[in-house]
Amino acid sequence: MIQYFLNRLLQTIPVLFGVIVITFVLMYIIPGDPVVSMVGERYNEETIQRLREDMHLDDPLFIQFFRYVGNVFRGNFGNSFITGEPVINLIMEKFPNTMMLAVGAMFFAILFGLTAGILTSIRPGSFIDRGIMVLALAGISAPVFWVGLILILVVGVMLRWLPPTGFGGIEYLILPALTLGLRSAAYLARLTRATMLDVMSQDYIRTARSKKLSEWKIYLQHAFPNTLIPVITVIGTDFGSYLSGAVLTESIFGWPGIGRLALEAIMKRDFPVIQGTVLFMAIMFVLMNVLVDMLYGVVDPRIRLERSGK
Amino acid sequence: MFRPIRILILSLLFLGCVKEIDYKTLTTAFSTDIRGFDPAFATDIRTGKIISLVYDNLVRFDNEMNLVPALTQRWSVDLSGRQYTFIIRNNVHFHDGSLLTVFDIAKSFQRILDPNTASTQTWLLDRITGAKDFMTGKEDSLKGLIISNDSTIVIKLDKPFAPFIQYLAMPAAAIINIKENESLTQTPSGSGPWKLERWERDGEIIFSRNEKYWDNHPKTERMRIRILSEVMTQSAEFEAGSLDILEVPQGEMEYWKQYSYNQLDVDELNIWYIGMNCSRPPFNDMRLRRAMNYAIDREKIIHILLNNSATLANGPLPPQLLHEAGEMHYEYNPNRAIQLLKEAGFDNDLHTELYVAGGSGMFHVLEALQSDWEKVGITVDIKRSDWNVFKTSVREGKPDLYYLDWFADYPDGENFLYPLFHSKESMTKRNRFSDPEIDVIIEKIQQLTNSVERQQLIATANMMVADAAPWVFLWHSKTTYLTREWISGFQPSSIFNANRYMNITKDLPR
Repeated sequence: MIQYFLNRLLQTIPVLFGVIVITFVLMYIIPGDPVVSMVGERYNEETIQRLREDMHLDDPLFIQFFRYVGNVFRGNFGNSFITGEPVINLIMEKFPNTMMLAVGAMFFAILFGLTAGILTSIRPGSFIDRGIMVLALAGISAPVFWVGLILILVVGVMLRWLPPTGFGGIEYLILPALTLGLRSAAYLARLTRATMLDVMSQDYIRTARSKKLSEWKIYLQHAFPNTLIPVITVIGTDFGSYLSGAVLTESIFGWPGIGRLALEAIMKRDFPVIQGTVLFMAIMFVLMNVLVDMLYGVVDPRIRLERSGK
Repeated sequence: MFRPIRILILSLLFLGCVKEIDYKTLTTAFSTDIRGFDPAFATDIRTGKIISLVYDNLVRFDNEMNLVPALTQRWSVDLSGRQYTFIIRNNVHFHDGSLLTVFDIAKSFQRILDPNTASTQTWLLDRITGAKDFMTGKEDSLKGLIISNDSTIVIKLDKPFAPFIQYLAMPAAAIINIKENESLTQTPSGSGPWKLERWERDGEIIFSRNEKYWDNHPKTERMRIRILSEVMTQSAEFEAGSLDILEVPQGEMEYWKQYSYNQLDVDELNIWYIGMNCSRPPFNDMRLRRAMNYAIDREKIIHILLNNSATLANGPLPPQLLHEAGEMHYEYNPNRAIQLLKEAGFDNDLHTELYVAGGSGMFHVLEALQSDWEKVGITVDIKRSDWNVFKTSVREGKPDLYYLDWFADYPDGENFLYPLFHSKESMTKRNRFSDPEIDVIIEKIQQLTNSVERQQLIATANMMVADAAPWVFLWHSKTTYLTREWISGFQPSSIFNANRYMNITKDLPR
């Protein structure tokens, strides 16, 4: 078991190295000079030259690359071209905010998605089933920015139930978490319903019914646990993407997270911040995938045994 | 039966979440965050605005764009125009309580020029005698910066340079508390009317008023500047009462007309233009450049597409910087444009590209211009790229045409003429325009202190540039602000760092 997880972790190293190579090369082959963003409209040519030298932008590409990789392995993502601050500090400053939003969105997605999925699978074809599935389809199809703006207008401006945007206590979290988690909730609802219907036609459910177990016990204790593998996959990958920042949601709601940090860095050509945030996003995503793999083993011991070749 | 009660409870729960209006805190918004609180790196307007809140300068601009004393009680310039003498106030304290002295002023200026600071703003102070030697490490101190006594500091320049005194009102010339200059990016160290409470990057900046400010302190206790990148979000927050002041986005002018919020229009010191590369064909031909100007119906565009939120440009300078308005140069005249094109030998076969920064929200306007040019036989393709790629291209002189704007650093015609049309600047950074006669006039404007002759030369240079048509002169934009009914005393200014939110009160509406 431990060997399996170690193997999975080792497999992430080439992935992350690939991410480092791709982001580094992309940053340097796209046109545009980062120094131009730093100096503003008025500058001396000497200032431009001095900044290029200070930032080693005139060094050969491979020297810049090995310097960067060496620094990354020492935990140094470099300093922002714009503010001069260590990139790792900027990321760490934003990460708790992103984590808060991701947890809020996932809480909403799990709560609504799984509940809706189980409810609709109890009486397929009923009014409730059809209604919820139509809503789920709308949830999957609706663009995030549209949902966000509608929630701001209706809940924040017209009804004034919640602050439209901003960052702070739980009241600020509800709308962005709903916006971000809606798609996952809708997808989880459809997935849970489909998997539950499949499980409910299995022999062991018939056996449970013949033993006169209550329907709720059958649903929650016998059927639902067997739907968890695909559900965990969706939750894990979606949570990984939330942790790596939700650019649109964070922008619409003025939420100061990793996504906005990356977006601002891209707009300002702040290379070290772009590279740092992309690498951080990749690490988050890969780690969540590893975690999901580990959870498979916890939820279904057969997977552990099969993969370890026993 | 229980359903309405549940809904009621839920509604009350939600209602409880919405905070009451905080009458002690003034709230406004920026669309992007600032770079930090270090004056040495204040290159953008937003950062410059914030620097003016937490720091003081020797001089500053008031809301009417007059240069007024700030940390200096008074100043004088000698007859040569090279020596400035400042008598400093002796009752100014930094936010940490320490007294601001002439030594802090000298050190603040030296810091900008110090190579170790790596400031991008050295151009502001590098005319001080000995600056070049100091910057290259040949000298340990600035020869032209002389502390005469505890309250007098003298600055000597290599050559007379009239805008220098205005440079001292710019963000990079702010006076910092040199004793704690370690982390200025995150923590300001100034003496300004507002003290930083908290900066949540990309979230909000919160200030409290400096109760011990040497001048009248701000009327509101706190100020909160929220960073809201989406226009729609800002509007929603204003409507919900969470923002007190809203800078109305261009596309929403019509929408806000239905409301009765207080509205303030400000004629900005700026110009929007199409730069034409004057150093190579086809735009090295002045007739073609003039034809480009005559071919477009700017009045119609301003009226229909810009909701009248701009005034026609007659040359590069905004009218506020000219003592009298000259005759309009380029009225809409497509026939004249066609005639000029014929004279220049372009007969319906001119095809060119217009470079635009991707973030520009003015594509509908550019398409209108494109259509007008098409009518006289000039085909213009719009080429979009991101801001950095765009600026790099302009700097390298790649585009034949590019769409850009210029906002004043300080309210002086020189600030439009030298950086944009003097050959030393234009040939290396902008649209490669060079006219030795205009260069000479601009240099003379830089040397003359305020006088009738200087004003006349500025007007002359403006007309000469308009004649030579290195740009398609478009318009000077206005900014419209809305304030909520509980706000009074808000007075926006045409110059970016003049308004320090000092006289605004926030009270229950009567």
